[in-house]
Amino acid sequence: MQKKINRRSFVTHTVLSSAGLLLKIQGVQENSGSFANASLHKENEPALMKEVMKYRKIDSHAHVYFSADSPASQIDFADRLGIERLVISRNLEPFSGGTPEEFRRCNDLVIQCMKAYPNRFLGTMVLNPTYREASLEEIKRCVDAGMVGAGELYNQVKINDPAFYPIIEKFIDLKMILLMHSAIGRSRVVLDAGEPPNISLPEDFVEIAARYPEAMFQFAHTAGGIDWEYACKALANSPNVYVDISGSNNEAGMIDFALRHIGEDRLLFGCDNSFYQGVGHMLAANLTEIQRRKIFFDNYNAILKKSGRHVD
Amino acid sequence: MLIDINAYTGHWPFRQLQHTTCGARLQFMQKSGIDISMVSNLNGIFYKNTQSANEELYEALKLDRRFAGRIIPFAVINPIYAGWKDDLKKCTAGMGMKGVRLHPRYHRYALTHPYCIELVKRTRDLGLPIALSLRMVDRRVSSWLDISEEWSLKDVLPVIREVPDAKYVILNAVNSMQLTNEETNLLKGSDFLMDTSGRALTDLGNMIRSYGKEKFAYGSHSPILDHVTGLLRIESLRTEEAGEITKTLLRYKNAQAFFNL
Ligand SMILES: [Zn+2]
Repeated sequence: MQKKINRRSFVTHTVLSSAGLLLKIQGVQENSGSFANASLHKENEPALMKEVMKYRKIDSHAHVYFSADSPASQIDFADRLGIERLVISRNLEPFSGGTPEEFRRCNDLVIQCMKAYPNRFLGTMVLNPTYREASLEEIKRCVDAGMVGAGELYNQVKINDPAFYPIIEKFIDLKMILLMHSAIGRSRVVLDAGEPPNISLPEDFVEIAARYPEAMFQFAHTAGGIDWEYACKALANSPNVYVDISGSNNEAGMIDFALRHIGEDRLLFGCDNSFYQGVGHMLAANLTEIQRRKIFFDNYNAILKKSGRHVD
Repeated sequence: MLIDINAYTGHWPFRQLQHTTCGARLQFMQKSGIDISMVSNLNGIFYKNTQSANEELYEALKLDRRFAGRIIPFAVINPIYAGWKDDLKKCTAGMGMKGVRLHPRYHRYALTHPYCIELVKRTRDLGLPIALSLRMVDRRVSSWLDISEEWSLKDVLPVIREVPDAKYVILNAVNSMQLTNEETNLLKGSDFLMDTSGRALTDLGNMIRSYGKEKFAYGSHSPILDHVTGLLRIESLRTEEAGEITKTLLRYKNAQAFFNL
């Protein structure tokens, strides 16, 4: 989902507003799927917000926009919900040609935002493998500018298309992850009429992940409109595919289901600009403290560590 | 204290849900800090004779005294199915149901169908609210057997225009919230309560400023959606958007007042 939030009126907070962000979690409490024990029954005790602010978070799937309220709007949400870092991109439009001019313009926006908020934004780049040389040059430019991976790649070329091979091989060298959009796809049996023909389906991720076991892929947004039960089952045996839980469709039980099929080491917290849902369904899920910490922060930071661009 | 004005018991045919019985729901509420849940039986969406679903819920609630006052039942009535007037009477007078939830798209009638208008008027005359959910599930992910249409806020207005003095509950606000000035005034002039489960509520602070702090209440759309997101929209409001008094209204006082609990 790429819904731009345009109804917001916001207050800009330039500093991290919550000391809670920096707290390390003490002790391990099993089965923390609720905030009840922190007593919601008592007034004047914002138990839920204490719970929210307790965890360091990296939003593994965030965006910035060509709009006047971006990126301040995203920072404002992040402050509100204690999200320390956001992995941002500006994806190519679904039906665009995805020319080098277009992807450079998107990446320029990301670089500009990274400069504006160096302690909040981690940038990832978009490119189009159809333009092989221009894409390889763009990778170099963006890595030099401090970016940490590729994404959110869109549907100009399928992730398992041979045109992607040199790009993926480059990211193997860089030890960086590639985030690819996922789709409504065949949630209703036939390919959704709104999908571009080159949309990547779960099976395409499975195939490319098997071909390049040393590459790291991020399957986008289980809450982004795909049949997430289908997607989690399809990706269960692809150990180098990480799955982010971002998106607007906060169906109950999604993270519990993903945990059973994908496991706690391959799930990544993310919002995809649906900030309440991203944080909300994490706290609703039946996760242990360790699992929460892994999914909110540690798993993505471990990915970043491979290229030496992790968060301290 | 926390009241969830948008919850369900019963089965969804296309996906396994959790805590679908009254017993499991109460246990879940205790674990989650929810004191009262207002529920209808999801089976009423799928049974042709919705009254069987209302009876199921009524019978289930009689099984355990602890349910009383904690799980508040709503009736599902289909006004184009035979016997609905009797169903309404039995549900409200006999079974103590606190309102009516309508599912026009699933039951295939227009919200302005004369029988629907008649049902809304009768419910109004009983002093009870009519609840409308803008969607049950996200159409993108829904089953190939499910309906694929969703409403936006605009789509509930025709019935409000027809019966402006009824009480309305607007649930799971999704899609566009854009209204014309005339429509905004119509909605503002009506006695409605909107729950916080819907994805369109990206800026609840602004909604409160536009429509008033009495117009919103915590709702989860659980067990279809997670139960925390709707509360997070309230609890994460900054003091300048909603102080503690307003948050208390949203957590439970608005629901208490609206439903006469
Ligand atoms: Zn996407």
